[in-house]
Amino acid sequence: MSDDKKARTGKAVSRRTVLKGSAAAAGLAVGSGAVSGFPTIWAQNIKDVTLRFVGSGVTHQAPWKAMIEKDMGFKVDFTVTDFDTIKNRGITQPRSYDLLEPTANNLRAMWPTNVFQAIDSTRLKHWDEAIDLYHAEGKIWPDASFGQGQNPSLVLYTDKQGGRKFAKAGSSKWLTMVPSQHNADTLGYNRDLTGRTLETWAELISDEWRGRVALQLLPEIALMDMGMALKASGLVAYEDMGNMTRDEIDKTFAIMNDLKRQKHFRGFWLTFGESVNLMLSKEVVLQSMWSPAVTVVRAQGVNAVYADLKEGYRAWTIGFMLPKHLDGLKLDAAYAFFDWLYTGSSGAYFAKQGYYMPTPQRTKEFLSEDEWGFWYEGKAAKGVIKDPLGNDLEQPGRVRDGGTYKNRMGRVAVWNSEPDELVYMTDKFDEFQAI
Amino acid sequence: MPTSSFFARYSAYLQAAPLTLVLLVFLVGPLIVILIFSVFKFTGFIWEPGFVIENYERIFTDRFPVTIKNYVQTIKITAITWAITLFIGFTLSYFFVFDLIRFKIKIFFFLLVIVPFWTSGVVRMVSWLPILGREGLVNKVVVGVGLSEQPWDFLFLSEFSVIVGYVHVFSLFMVAPLFNVMARIDPSLFEAARDQGAKGWQILLYIIIPMTKPGIAIGTIFVVALVASDSTISRILSGGKMGTISTTISNQYQHFQYPFAAANGIIFLIVLLLFVGGLMRVVNVREQL
Amino acid sequence: MSDATVVQNGGHATAKKEKGRGTGFYVRATFFFAFLFFLYGPIVVMGILSFQGPTGGMTFPMRGFSLHWFREVFNPSYIGEFTSPFFLSIGLAVVVMVITTVLSFLAGLAYRRGFKGSGIVFYLTVASLVTPSFLISIGIGLGFSNLGLQTNAWTGGLGAQLTWTLPFGLLIMLAIFSRLDTSIEEMARDLGATDWQRLQHVVIPIVLPGLIAVALFGFTLSYDEFPRTALLVGSNNTLPVEMLAVQSIAPRPNLYAVGTMTTIFSLAVITISFVALWLVEKRRGLTGGGGVPEAEHYGDALGQRRKQAGPPAE
Repeated sequence: MSDDKKARTGKAVSRRTVLKGSAAAAGLAVGSGAVSGFPTIWAQNIKDVTLRFVGSGVTHQAPWKAMIEKDMGFKVDFTVTDFDTIKNRGITQPRSYDLLEPTANNLRAMWPTNVFQAIDSTRLKHWDEAIDLYHAEGKIWPDASFGQGQNPSLVLYTDKQGGRKFAKAGSSKWLTMVPSQHNADTLGYNRDLTGRTLETWAELISDEWRGRVALQLLPEIALMDMGMALKASGLVAYEDMGNMTRDEIDKTFAIMNDLKRQKHFRGFWLTFGESVNLMLSKEVVLQSMWSPAVTVVRAQGVNAVYADLKEGYRAWTIGFMLPKHLDGLKLDAAYAFFDWLYTGSSGAYFAKQGYYMPTPQRTKEFLSEDEWGFWYEGKAAKGVIKDPLGNDLEQPGRVRDGGTYKNRMGRVAVWNSEPDELVYMTDKFDEFQAI
Repeated sequence: MPTSSFFARYSAYLQAAPLTLVLLVFLVGPLIVILIFSVFKFTGFIWEPGFVIENYERIFTDRFPVTIKNYVQTIKITAITWAITLFIGFTLSYFFVFDLIRFKIKIFFFLLVIVPFWTSGVVRMVSWLPILGREGLVNKVVVGVGLSEQPWDFLFLSEFSVIVGYVHVFSLFMVAPLFNVMARIDPSLFEAARDQGAKGWQILLYIIIPMTKPGIAIGTIFVVALVASDSTISRILSGGKMGTISTTISNQYQHFQYPFAAANGIIFLIVLLLFVGGLMRVVNVREQL
Repeated sequence: MSDATVVQNGGHATAKKEKGRGTGFYVRATFFFAFLFFLYGPIVVMGILSFQGPTGGMTFPMRGFSLHWFREVFNPSYIGEFTSPFFLSIGLAVVVMVITTVLSFLAGLAYRRGFKGSGIVFYLTVASLVTPSFLISIGIGLGFSNLGLQTNAWTGGLGAQLTWTLPFGLLIMLAIFSRLDTSIEEMARDLGATDWQRLQHVVIPIVLPGLIAVALFGFTLSYDEFPRTALLVGSNNTLPVEMLAVQSIAPRPNLYAVGTMTTIFSLAVITISFVALWLVEKRRGLTGGGGVPEAEHYGDALGQRRKQAGPPAE
């Protein structure tokens, strides 16, 4: 109850600040106070604006949509789809959406297509508060690992509006995307079927789980997971796992091909849902997984564990991009939305599903102490932990797999990346599938 | 009819025009776009306009072994699906046309076969998991009866489950045309044949099968087209373990390698058209319909 | 085989009684019911699992029985808004159905007369059928965007679906028309019927069942289509695209609930249309007796013509 109240007042505050902020911006833009009625006009017009979002189910959920509409005053239209469709529709049909939410690891391919506009970070009220991962440092904490592969800070900035190249983080005010959520991925396993706690990525290729292992169907991700396993087993050494050389790719596939011949893999999943089903139906014992998928599986009675492995995590970031055509009131609305996004209410909503947002300090304001302790600080739950809809998620005493925010995001071994040799990798993956 | 002479002379063209126009805009147009993309240069992450033949060249050089493997796998899956749906289509049509006598029963049974096709294909695809999975109904029986100690893994996330899924979704497309042509066979032919001393299998071989050829041909085109167009069912039911030509194309498409995907797609389309052309030489559907 | 082949002769009512069923019949009947079992297996599983308890998943065991997932369909708490996609799909399917029926019928007429280039159009149609879906969807998507146009369900989506339904429509129409004896039309012409009268009173009544078949195919193929549409629907998903999205993101039993409801909906539509059809037939004084409905219409139309116009010169 008290949480609800807090959330409500919090929202009211955030709404006020948003409106005030834009009023100030509008006033500045116009100059003198001659147009004092301007903010009101904006507030009235904004009701007629509909922002069309195309994105994944990670964020595009009905309750969140209601939050946006309530706080922002404009209408929102969600098209929920998978990441492949997001990036392909994003490039081929930029006019069919106003905001697109792809993954940051697609930026290398997407940004140079020139269908997007750069986002002015000086217009974002809370950009300075975003974690240091997205600033010059490229790390959330000074003692965090930078991680191999494509750290998001490497692709988050561009030199100018209309620029096709990436700029050094913090060296420019132009952003390619406004990051929404990030998280650290690892292996998920069925604790009842393994009978023991798993501690290393090497388990992925262990004979013990033959025929009960699944990876992602995306070659670049599957290869990073395999890379983690092969490196942990000492079978292959990698210079940069997020950007493998041809030689490293060949060595990795040589082992993967053998494993496939031995029927080591039960399957490969492309979507969140498929991974949930594989674990839930006990098709697999051990697989590459996303954290909320483990949560979903646990909620349905399977004792799934999100492995905290000694070699670290494979992390990712997703964010919002704006198509070139967006202008006028809609563009203002998009910027207002970005400001709202970082005010904490969204952060809290998604925290309850296990994701992190770039402004954790604001997220904290919208979470109860117990929730903050459970999701961010690795503390044992004092009460029942609930999901955003109020359903029971975890019982008192439970500690989040992987523990603290810092333990997970501070030990990133590799970031989801598209390597230079992506074409070669895709080709080899075809051959792997054809076995 | 002097006033209608213009229409009389050109009516066939006017009548065929709308369909042709739709196909020109939404089939030929897009194919031209694809053709253009298939000669664009791929730079590693994205394409650049240009004219290169590398995208085709690589299919027949570096990637030739995997291309062949993909086609073999595609043909294998298509052939098995085709054979099973043909058997089902033939048997069911025979049953409907010659065994069932009362019209109302005929309609009722035919509806029974059609109704599942109004259930979402997505759901029908997904609902194989509770049936064929390790913990699924079939494996419960297999383990329960003692056929095997371990659940049968081959039932799901395998070629087997892909074929099961295909047969489930595509068999109507074989049943319908076969039923259609079989219904046109005059049963008095059978009696005449029998009077001449023909045996049951001879009637089947020399009367029914030749007379249903156009139906078989159309059903074959339907099934081949459906299998060729699919990448979703095969991915989900094989667990991404099967490498067909569609798999390769969708891998390339996922990674923005549109020029490669386009070149592969164009080649695939040519192969499919050659197949249909060959089929038409054996059975001229247009004349025999 | 031969023993079970005694059937009606296409005229009214069953002509002969069967001479007793042979083993072939029972083998085929068993096969038919086995096939039904196979066909309905997933449907039944879907039906049962749609009543999962609120914490239940996409697979057995059942974690309680509830209507939770049906409520979820209409009042989504999370992901999966099916109501507007449902109406979009129905609307689109109806439009596709009408266009497919009309265009296939017209083209069928054209093929009856023959025209230069008919072979090309035929192969174009077959090509449309066998062209892999992604070529069409990417092609249309890129084409539209290069022309600065925006695709949605009613432009690119509609076009993509027509490339899928028209070949089915045309092939069915060709089959139907090939059975239509041209002499009957000539006869009508001899009797002074205009083109339009011939079409209205002779051709359309005879091919009506075929038109209904095309319409049903058109509707179903559109209603359940996703490979060609997924990329082209713009900001509003059709039902299969939404279901695919939900399947990929958060597969929960609400998918089964949607499946169950749409199946019931289709059953209702089929029942209603067949009852309607049956009533129409009845009014026209036809008894549904033969196995080849077209043949009846054929005979009937001929009979009516004869009645109205006196005996034809034979």
